[in-house]
Amino acid sequence: MSALPIVEPAANRPTSHRGVPLLTEPSVGHYPEFRAFLARTFGLDTDRIGGPGLLSVDGRFYELVFLGRSGTPFPSGVEIHALLPGLEPLDEDVADRDLWAVLEWLVDGVGGEWSAEDLVTTGRIYRVPAAEQK
Amino acid sequence: MTRTIDDLPPAVRSRYPYRSRFVQVNGRRMHYVDEGPPDAPPVLLLHGNPAWGYLWRDAVPPLLAAGLRVVVPDQIGFGLSEKPHTHAVHTLDNHTANLIALIDRLDLRGVTVVCHDWGGPTGLGALLSRPHRATAVAVMSTWAWTTPSSAFHRSVLPWRMMHAPLVGPYLLGTRAAMPGRGMYLSVVDRSRFAEESQEAYTTVLGDADERTLTWTWPRSIPIGLPSDTTGARFRWLEEGVRALRLPATVLWGREDEVFPSDVFAARWHEIWPHAEGTHLVTGKHFLQEDSGTEIGHLLADFATRATRAAHDPGAAR
Repeated sequence: MSALPIVEPAANRPTSHRGVPLLTEPSVGHYPEFRAFLARTFGLDTDRIGGPGLLSVDGRFYELVFLGRSGTPFPSGVEIHALLPGLEPLDEDVADRDLWAVLEWLVDGVGGEWSAEDLVTTGRIYRVPAAEQK
Repeated sequence: MTRTIDDLPPAVRSRYPYRSRFVQVNGRRMHYVDEGPPDAPPVLLLHGNPAWGYLWRDAVPPLLAAGLRVVVPDQIGFGLSEKPHTHAVHTLDNHTANLIALIDRLDLRGVTVVCHDWGGPTGLGALLSRPHRATAVAVMSTWAWTTPSSAFHRSVLPWRMMHAPLVGPYLLGTRAAMPGRGMYLSVVDRSRFAEESQEAYTTVLGDADERTLTWTWPRSIPIGLPSDTTGARFRWLEEGVRALRLPATVLWGREDEVFPSDVFAARWHEIWPHAEGTHLVTGKHFLQEDSGTEIGHLLADFATRATRAAHDPGAAR
């Protein structure tokens, strides 16, 4: 089980790291409250297409690359990249646990009718390993 | 490389022993099977999310035995059809246009259109766009209106959570929840499904990028939220199907929890007072998995009578 993700300032992005795309969401506004949470958390209302967002989970870094699409409020989508040093390959199990922690953080942050508890229950129904380990 | 039925595991091939065919529709490569005499009355079997033609395997033999032609496409994004990764491809209107192109390219005339799940909104949209080509229509575990929506589809736990932003691409894309656990939970005889069918659905959606439609299609279901994207199309569909007076039949799974029969089958009878049924069979949402042969016999009888009536209105019964 991974620790709670921490929102990091862009200056904390580790140098000489590359991004490994883990997840692409082309339509983050499908439920607008998800877009609102990301815009609020990473200051996107005023910055529009600026730098990516940065999260750390147990000292490992993840970048949120925001996507724009004509005719759709920004951000229209988001990619989550694991940041890895040099040419080191991805540890898929660790990345999967961290990604699940990011999803819990996201859903809880959106709030309202969305909760990490319901996400975990859904994950257990569909036998997601990271949810079953909790 | 283009995969065909011959490239699938032997157990899958043996249960769906038909020749793979391909046709270009709406800019994409669609896989389908086309069995029976080419000049026989055609029956078009349409599946939804996340199935493919294999879902109809037990319904096909009774239809062929009745002397009918059976056409079973895999919707673009599923089965052995092309699976575009770009989510903008997967609009309801594009999927409807895919089926219109199929009907045009195969020059289907006097067709009985059989709709399950998303085969309903897409197939009925195609039927309304090519009404002169249809003789009859059958519906099962499907819908064509904005209200009532399904309580299952309105609930956060688990349905809306499953395809929520970022959760959808993870749970349904990376983790393949729909062809895996999702279908397993939506049949009655789960051990039989696990033994005979699960592999057929997971093997054709092997990579996360191939599973885009499994999480984009749920987002196209109107549930009365401001973010609904298909409300206007579904209102057009409802108005259109209400005006249809083709012979119709309603088949449903007794145990269906996604589209409960007391709400959704009943609604079809309100829309089509002349419709036959409801023929209740053993089955949850994927009722063909539990009652495929029985469904095949019901459809064969219905399509045969409807075709005869179309040619000789005095012999409707």
